[in-house]
Amino acid sequence: MIDDSKPIFMQIAELIENDIISGVLAEEAQVPSTNEFAAFYRINPATAAKGINRLVEDGLLYKKRGIGMFVTEGAPQRLRAQRREKFQQQFIAPLTAEASKLGIGVDELVAMIKTGSES
Amino acid sequence: MNRVIKVARMQLINKGTFIGIPLIILGASFLFTMAIWWLVRRNGGDGAMYSGGAQAPMWYFLALGIQSLTLTFPFSMAMSISRRTFYLGTVALFSVCALALSVFYYLMGLLEVATDGWGMGGQFFALQWIADNNWLVQILFYFVLMVLLFMIGFLAATIYMRWRTTGMVAFFICLGVLVLGIIALITLTNSWGEFWSWALTWTAAGVTLWGGIVALLMAGGSYLTLRKATA
Amino acid sequence: MPRTTAIATRELSKTYKDVKALDNVTLDLEPDRIYGLLGRNGAGKTTLMSILTGQNYADHGTAEIFGHAPFEHDPTLSRICFIRESQKYPDDFKVHQAFESAALFFENWDEDLAQELVEAFALPINRRIKKLSRGQLSAVGVIIGMASRADITFFDEPYLGLDAVARQIFYDRLVEDFAEYPRTIVLSSHLIDEVANLLEHVIVIDKGQIVIDSDAEELRGTAVTVTGDAAKVQEFIGAAQVLHRDALGALASVTIKAKLDADQREQAKLMGLDLSPVSLQQLVVRSALSGTTAQRTEERTEARK
Repeated sequence: MIDDSKPIFMQIAELIENDIISGVLAEEAQVPSTNEFAAFYRINPATAAKGINRLVEDGLLYKKRGIGMFVTEGAPQRLRAQRREKFQQQFIAPLTAEASKLGIGVDELVAMIKTGSES
Repeated sequence: MNRVIKVARMQLINKGTFIGIPLIILGASFLFTMAIWWLVRRNGGDGAMYSGGAQAPMWYFLALGIQSLTLTFPFSMAMSISRRTFYLGTVALFSVCALALSVFYYLMGLLEVATDGWGMGGQFFALQWIADNNWLVQILFYFVLMVLLFMIGFLAATIYMRWRTTGMVAFFICLGVLVLGIIALITLTNSWGEFWSWALTWTAAGVTLWGGIVALLMAGGSYLTLRKATA
Repeated sequence: MPRTTAIATRELSKTYKDVKALDNVTLDLEPDRIYGLLGRNGAGKTTLMSILTGQNYADHGTAEIFGHAPFEHDPTLSRICFIRESQKYPDDFKVHQAFESAALFFENWDEDLAQELVEAFALPINRRIKKLSRGQLSAVGVIIGMASRADITFFDEPYLGLDAVARQIFYDRLVEDFAEYPRTIVLSSHLIDEVANLLEHVIVIDKGQIVIDSDAEELRGTAVTVTGDAAKVQEFIGAAQVLHRDALGALASVTIKAKLDADQREQAKLMGLDLSPVSLQQLVVRSALSGTTAQRTEERTEARK
């Protein structure tokens, strides 16, 4: 779950983001506390807090004093939009680069994707 | 609560060590002596009977001096107690125990005299040489003797804690040289006769005074040694 | 109000006969954090902790706990808990008597927590400590350390002899309890992978010297291992600092100290090189050994020629 490739707080932030996108954490739903995250992932509570604070700064979560942390309305849509942007550079760019190296044309690529997603 | 008192309470967590075992040793020694005296009288033995059985718990205090340091000092470090506090608590506890036992000896001595040596004319607590003195000297005599033995063990153990084996070896070599030196001095000057006649002039009060001074010196020495000892 | 530093040392040195146990150690530890004190056996971890807790003293330099030298200072000592890995207990003590004693001296002692942990570790409290197994002995130390809730708690290789389940209990309870009662915790360990995620800050000591003193998160991702054709690996890493180098024929696997950006990762992929993350444990081992290892590798290369 947690690996060594990048700081843990970033990984925690991403894990929560994924849950928001997939709907596991719905809009206006309460998210577990920093300490619950820390205990669950067996990480330092300060690190968990750092990850969550990042999402608060990004406006994806908001705090209700004395109650806890909640998913902001519209957070899933915003995240999806962000991820779509990243999708282009993260997946499409290397895909087309590799395809052109192998002499696969755009049409052929589209056809391959179609058969791929059908199966 | 004061941490010095807490140290005493820690040493008392196992009640046997400071209170139970000395009483058991004393009790056993007393009963054993009684049994022997009874056998002697039954077989027609007469005259005064003496027993050194009362000193039995005192030798245990030598071991207790070693034990209360070697076993408990490293643990007291883990309990975040300063060496000074550990020292004060331990020595104070022993002093209180020794004083209580000394008073007990004195009272038992009175009882012994009153019952004509437990009805058998024996001397266990009230040895003539001691019992002839006033109550204060009697109690102090026992007290100083107990503290002295405890301190010998305590000092030796402290030296071990501070300087480990090297310290122990040096300590015992010094002690050995000192004792041998005195014996050699007496022997070479042919003064054993004078020595014994001098020894016979010792009084309980004198022994108490000099013993007390030596015990105090050892207490000071072990304190200074302990201040930089490591667990 | 500025926060007082929990632990501060300045140029701390300690020599045992001819071994330099601590060599010019200068550190500042902030309160309410979990620190990892990492290093090989004999690197100086226990000596450092002993001096910080007044159980030992330095030849040179100063150590302060909340602004005061701990040596023989009861008010400072009473805020510290340090159970040694080789802790001695009175010979006749039973397990519960050690806890009774700890309850006397540690003002924040939590008896309920101690009881919970006794059950979690299945510790026989009426057994003599002398008769415990190595793991049970470690559990006694862990329980005293946890239940003392001291402002600064040192755990000295607390897992020795504990099985995987018991170790996990320890780590879980530590995170839980720390979250509820924040305090300064120094976890000394040479099993780094197990504790890596719990640490906020990492101090690595080797041969008595501090070789890493850094935020754990900053360390993560600061090194990467590049594997592939030796020539290409060399071309890729350029002048980056090499922490470790392994060679197998034409194949090379080199750990470098570098934070790679997306472009560099892309480039590595195009060159047919594999990139793998470096765990904290590897990083520590490599950092501690980088001098000697680099030398040995060179010698090996020389010998092959």
